Amino acid sequence: MVSINHYLVLATFMFLCGTLGVLFRRNLLLVLMSIELMLNSVNLVFVSGSRLLGNLDGQVMVFFIITVAACEAGVGLAMVIALFRRYGTVDTNFLRILRG
Amino acid sequence: MLFWLILFFPLLGAFLNGLVLRKVSPTVSHILGTSALIAAFVCALLTYLQFLAGGGQAQVITGMEWIEAGTFKAPFNFILDRLSGLMLLIITGIGSLIHIYAGGYMHEEKATYRFFSYLNLFVFMMLLLVLGDNLLVMFIGWEGVGLCSYLLIGYWYEDDKNAAAGMKAFLVNRIGDIGFLLGIFLTFKYFHTVSFSELKQMILSAGAQLNGEQIEAIGWITLALFVGACGKSAQMPLYVWLPDAMAGPTPVSALIHAATMVTAGIYMMTRLNFLFYLAPTTQMIVASVGAVTALFAATIALVQYDIKKVLAYSTVSQLGYMVLGCGVGAYSAGVFHLFTHACFKALLFLGAGSVIVAMHHKQDMREMGGLRKYMPVTHLVMLIGVLAIIGFPGLSGFFSKDEILWRAWTGGDQYHIQWGLGALAAVCTSFYMVRLLMLTFYGKNRSDHHTQEHLHETSVVMWGPLVVLAILSAAVGYLNVPHIIHIPGLTNLLFEHYLDPVISIPPQVAEHWHHLHAEYPQSLEWAIMAVSVAGMAISSLLAISMYSNGFGRIANSLGSAFKGAHRVLTNKYYVDEFYDSYIVTPLRDMSQFLWKVVDVLIIDGIVNGVGQAFMLIGGLSSFRMSGSLHRHGMVMVVGIICMLTVLFF
Repeated sequence: MVSINHYLVLATFMFLCGTLGVLFRRNLLLVLMSIELMLNSVNLVFVSGSRLLGNLDGQVMVFFIITVAACEAGVGLAMVIALFRRYGTVDTNFLRILRG
Repeated sequence: MLFWLILFFPLLGAFLNGLVLRKVSPTVSHILGTSALIAAFVCALLTYLQFLAGGGQAQVITGMEWIEAGTFKAPFNFILDRLSGLMLLIITGIGSLIHIYAGGYMHEEKATYRFFSYLNLFVFMMLLLVLGDNLLVMFIGWEGVGLCSYLLIGYWYEDDKNAAAGMKAFLVNRIGDIGFLLGIFLTFKYFHTVSFSELKQMILSAGAQLNGEQIEAIGWITLALFVGACGKSAQMPLYVWLPDAMAGPTPVSALIHAATMVTAGIYMMTRLNFLFYLAPTTQMIVASVGAVTALFAATIALVQYDIKKVLAYSTVSQLGYMVLGCGVGAYSAGVFHLFTHACFKALLFLGAGSVIVAMHHKQDMREMGGLRKYMPVTHLVMLIGVLAIIGFPGLSGFFSKDEILWRAWTGGDQYHIQWGLGALAAVCTSFYMVRLLMLTFYGKNRSDHHTQEHLHETSVVMWGPLVVLAILSAAVGYLNVPHIIHIPGLTNLLFEHYLDPVISIPPQVAEHWHHLHAEYPQSLEWAIMAVSVAGMAISSLLAISMYSNGFGRIANSLGSAFKGAHRVLTNKYYVDEFYDSYIVTPLRDMSQFLWKVVDVLIIDGIVNGVGQAFMLIGGLSSFRMSGSLHRHGMVMVVGIICMLTVLFF
């Protein structure tokens, strides 16, 4: 029997994967993908909560998050392209213009 | 309706000339500007006749609302009484003549639309000044004429000297304006109104007893207003701008700096005579300043070579007479001199303008001489003008100047010094005016061959107005023939009583001014008159003998005998130099200090310093900003984990 805890553990695992990806991948594209992973783990929590409580609030919220995530991905990719055009690289080790 | 047209026409002329018709030929702008003024003059004349036919009672013409704040009210109301009616006629009448003349004088200029636009605007502002029923409307006119004066002095602005002269006039007038403004403020503070008619009613109504505070305030109000008058009417110590103002075209000197604008101070004091009567101390100061100015300027005029400079100092001196008249309480005498002076000084300036045109814009009298042969009409009218100003019996100056001196003498013992100064100034006046006439029109011509070849009488556009002004200069004096000279048929015309409805001595001080209505023995009046005429005759003869043929032997030897005095006079008592080193230079140095030290160093230093301090402090901690995305993310995540740990356990 698959209980709510299974879903939550899976979501936690996905979230951690995403976090580690954001923290340790050097390619900006992969960083963006990791962020998507984190978002989707949250979505998973919402959906399982919705199922547990027996209403549709969580699922409605997920629709919003997917929409926003799509926009965010669009903007993020555009920025990555712009950065690539400007600096010729998407390696975060070289993109340090905010250094004080 | 007619009344509004008086104001409307000059404004329309200024608008059309200045903004609409800028590309037309000079002739068109001349005709436009002149016809605007003539139309205004016709309206003014009709309005004035209507007003006299209606009994000559002062009437307030209600215009639109303007400023209303609490109890403070300053509507655009206009006052039409005998004083403003007379001023109306002077401004539009003499203004029209000068406009006609200006067409001839300026016909070589290119941008005459600018000239006539300013001139029309000036007339509008001047009308606003004399017609306004409250101090604030008058102040608009007051500033407006100052602006037009500035614009017209600097009309030939390509020359830095002219622009500087305009600026000087403007700045010196600002000092006077501060006084005028303070006077307005104080008037409202203590009387809660700035309207002339309300103020007059309040002061004169027997029921309203003024309290001590108000009486004291009147002293300060009148003094502050007199400072304003000093600026506008070129009195000591603020007269310095008027001689420099001669940098403008000669018609401007005639209209603005002789006939109308400079008399604004006298007009204002006469308008508020009931206040000035209540302040004997101020009156004393006014009389003294007037008398000193009259003599001071007259002595400078004795040795000037520039024909316009002589007339400029003469104007300052004559204004001094008017102020003296106001100071001794004889406002009608002051205004009468204003009237006659407007005629003969406009005539003299325009005559000088004709001479300048004939001499190809040379103004130095040392290069003139013998012009009588070449310019007979100009010579004749200038002769009349000179005789009028020196007080030759029978011409206007004789009647008006003597009236002032007579009033000064009868003002009591305390005014005898002022009378003496005035009489001495009259002696100087006849000397320098006859000198001017002699050097310009008599003797041999001293100009170079080229100029001499082109000497000729001016066109009718220029000498026509001169003839009219000459007739006026000769005739207007008969409006106020002294009691002792009986001329049948003229007794009812006495100008002395013309202004009676305007001039009113408050009952509280009637005793102090009783001498204005007292009877004096005829012999005294004859004696005073004889002194003036004798002084005039002697100094005129002296001037004739000295200058009948250029700078004669006597003139030169006198000049070298009194070298020191001559040099002081030629340099105008070094007043400009004094102002320059003790007022202008310190002010400029102070401004430099305020700019370079206080502003740039201190204020900018503080502002920039604050910014730089933040940069510095930020710099100290900015090494934490590595710019590495991962490190920042790591810090964030660790932080969140720490917070969550604290929150849950």
